[in-house]
Amino acid sequence: MSSLSQTPPIVAPVPRLRRRARSAPLARYALLLLFAVIVLIPVYVLVVTSFKGVLETDASHAWSLPHLWTTEAWSQAWTQLSPNLGNSFKLVIPATVISVVLGALNGFVLSKWKFPGADIVFTLFLFGMFIPYQAVMIPLTTLLEDVHFPAGIPRLAFAHIVYGIPITALIFRNYYATIPNDLMEAARMDRAGMLRTFWSVVLPISMPAFVVAAIWQFTSIWNDFLFAVFIITDPAKWPVTVALNNTTGSLVTPYNLQMSAALLASLPTLIVYVLLGRYFMRGLMAGALKG
Amino acid sequence: MTRLRRVRRWGPGLLLLTPSIILIAVFVYGLIGWNIKVSLSDWRTSVKSTHYAGFAAYKDLNSDPVWWSYNMRHLAVFTVAFIVGTLIVGWTLAFLLDKGVRGEGFFRAVYLFPMAISFIAAGIVWRWLMNPAPGDRTSGLNAIFDKLGLHALENQWYLGQNWGMAAMAMPAVWALSGYIMALFLAGFRGVPEELREAARMDGASEYRVYRHVVFPHLRPVTLSALIILGHISIKVFDLIVAIGGKQVITMVPAVYMWINIYDAHDYAKGAAIATLLLLGISILIVPYLIFTVRSERNA
Amino acid sequence: MADIVLDDIYKRYPNGFEAVKGLSLEIADGELLVLVGPSGCGKTTALRMVAGLEDITSGDLFIGGHRVNDVLERDRDIAMVFQNYALYPHMTVAQNIAFSLKLAKAPKHEIRARVRETAELLGLENLLDRRPKQLSGGQRQRVAMGRAIIRKPRVFLMDEPLSNLDAQLRVQMRGEIEALQKRLGVTTVYVTHDQVEALTMGDRIAVLRDGVLQQVGTPADVYDNPANLFVAGFIGSPPMNLAHATVENGSVRLGETTLPAPPWLKAERVIVGVRPEDLHQARNGGPALQAQVDRVESVGASLLVHFPVDARDAKSRALAAATGGPVLEAVPLTGGEGTSAFTATFEPRSMIRAGERVSVGVDPERLHFFDPDTEQTLRP
Repeated sequence: MSSLSQTPPIVAPVPRLRRRARSAPLARYALLLLFAVIVLIPVYVLVVTSFKGVLETDASHAWSLPHLWTTEAWSQAWTQLSPNLGNSFKLVIPATVISVVLGALNGFVLSKWKFPGADIVFTLFLFGMFIPYQAVMIPLTTLLEDVHFPAGIPRLAFAHIVYGIPITALIFRNYYATIPNDLMEAARMDRAGMLRTFWSVVLPISMPAFVVAAIWQFTSIWNDFLFAVFIITDPAKWPVTVALNNTTGSLVTPYNLQMSAALLASLPTLIVYVLLGRYFMRGLMAGALKG
Repeated sequence: MTRLRRVRRWGPGLLLLTPSIILIAVFVYGLIGWNIKVSLSDWRTSVKSTHYAGFAAYKDLNSDPVWWSYNMRHLAVFTVAFIVGTLIVGWTLAFLLDKGVRGEGFFRAVYLFPMAISFIAAGIVWRWLMNPAPGDRTSGLNAIFDKLGLHALENQWYLGQNWGMAAMAMPAVWALSGYIMALFLAGFRGVPEELREAARMDGASEYRVYRHVVFPHLRPVTLSALIILGHISIKVFDLIVAIGGKQVITMVPAVYMWINIYDAHDYAKGAAIATLLLLGISILIVPYLIFTVRSERNA
Repeated sequence: MADIVLDDIYKRYPNGFEAVKGLSLEIADGELLVLVGPSGCGKTTALRMVAGLEDITSGDLFIGGHRVNDVLERDRDIAMVFQNYALYPHMTVAQNIAFSLKLAKAPKHEIRARVRETAELLGLENLLDRRPKQLSGGQRQRVAMGRAIIRKPRVFLMDEPLSNLDAQLRVQMRGEIEALQKRLGVTTVYVTHDQVEALTMGDRIAVLRDGVLQQVGTPADVYDNPANLFVAGFIGSPPMNLAHATVENGSVRLGETTLPAPPWLKAERVIVGVRPEDLHQARNGGPALQAQVDRVESVGASLLVHFPVDARDAKSRALAAATGGPVLEAVPLTGGEGTSAFTATFEPRSMIRAGERVSVGVDPERLHFFDPDTEQTLRP
């Protein structure tokens, strides 16, 4: 489970609180840049090492740029990890889609079509987000085995969908809370039932929440290690994060392969982050207080 | 009659939620119950056994030399280093960004990007960075200190005997500071500008404005941050495995549980560890959840 | 087409708070009844109970002769216009208006025709393809009305539809809404906190305070014959002047002034009320109040002259009740405790200025009397 999955984001369509960009004192810029550099050091290491040949990966050349830029580490990583990348995609895309849709429906009911005790139910859901998943791993695997749930990726997808219920419900519920109630009442007066109201009135304005929830789930599920390592026993079916740790992450693997493999495994989430990160950040920033 | 009408109104909602309610009831609460049951059983080998054995597994754990001197001590050191480090860095970044700088979007994107990386991938890099090899084979951060002449800073990092786990917290701080920054930044900016302006008009220096207007506003955010970081710390698994593997010198409860189940097949003991983790988290989370829901209701 | 009957309606919340207490009203078919009162008086709650958006704790609600307490809002054939319009943000004006018809699975050509018809009625023909966020407040308000009208319901409910518009627009829309209602002839219940709006629009108005009906009647009725101190002080702008007075020997002693008392008035302690427009610059003798002018406000068509009367103030109690706040002693600028601030309307050309002495003529026929303890109007 990535760090991402453990931190609750909130989405709210409030205007971004952005201060007027002013020229800040030099000291502040310097500090910010310093921090940025520190944060990016691991990226430097990853990129630089991944393009080195095996001969250059020893201690004496630790920090220098490659003398000879080569992609041999990359092609090795690709050979080793591409089946696992495939597994990850097969896992993440259906799981994210289902999880997000479920979250939208749940969030809608919990915020706008409440039944008596809805808030208590929501709190009980939320607690499920904080539990140490280790605590349920054994019974989970046993249970799935006992009911003959299709082994491999489907099982893992199912687990992620189930344990993704709390966080997706949280994201959508908090977002839908910002929709004025009289919109729901107007729909009621127009004779719309619950599903119709969801479909015609709420869903069309849910895009921000969908984006945040989708990015969140995509990243969490892609980066997950714990669930995958417990649930998937056949190494051929490992998602890329597990494969990364168990094959290319080991200490006997040359550094350039380790780094290229780590980068390769992180590429999809990085791409998602680069392309859609600003929407994600908007959500985090706007409502993060209620975390 | 009116009751029927009311049910007609919220009934469909409950119906729609029911599958999720069942799933959570089974897979969260049901399995937690199962776990607790196992922890109280005598299932100590790969042969399943479900007889009640009281707190035997817990007692075993208590007297297990690895538990207190390694697991718990490591967890404590890690937790403190992690929480303090992340709070300081996150807060500082938010403070620096609060007034707005050109390129704020760029900086925010940089600080937050570690959240997109899995702990496993991050672990690979940080393991390299924290390479403890001395002398000729110095690399990673030690190599930089060497080149800069800061020999005193070179150390064993995560393999350090006493404070290794504090070093282990570094990648965690790296990964989570961005999130805490986002929390604090939203907190800083949640202070209405009028409040700050009123204080300035009343003659307060900028320092005073921060101290008396802004910081008090940050208490709930800080509390949120503490709780979230605390619960992450207790659960930390991926990172430790990626960097330290199953070594005793970096052992934490979450990893120890994994070992007990998969290598030692001591299910009851593993379940006991898991239950204790759950207990630790509950102490943090339950009051927090109640507080959040209640304040939401009052709002 | 339907009449509405509320019979002893109560709304009690789980925490014990009663928003509406024993409300009984009969609204005739085709009538425009205005529910008016200060914030928190229960008027919106009452409206929502008629709509079906709130449950009725006790009492009966009849629409068109049928008891509808247990009928869902969607089946009551009622349309509502919300205070904040509640327009569907992602739909065009045409789609917003047509939504209910679309849900009822009306044929497309019929929907198109009715949308057109409704748009023409409201002057929205050129805006049909816009989204709500591209519209002005007044336009949004009309779309909200269109959404209600197109359904041809038997009842319209309007919850402060004009309160978010600026003053000028409000005045214009008032007339439009009233004309529309007359034209369509649909029974309408209209909620507002603005008593001027209530007086100009309603066929009848019902004044509420703290969930209790104070008075129901035509605007003229409620204005000329308020049932109690609250209605007297709430209805009318500027508000009625109210002060304590004593009655002896057929005369009313209001401070230093003696005014003839009506023969039927038996009480010894009263609260006297007189509207500013019934106080004029005195001419030709007759009962008058002598005072030094505090300040003068010009409102264009008349001059509001504020002056103290040395009688204990009763206006503040009524006003406080009206605004729901603590009792504030409205002590005039001159004079101290035990004086009331009175207002009279003078001709704009009278050129009175602050500090001058004036003689304010009082027509004894236009005095109102209230019991100081029960606050009820005293009548023959």
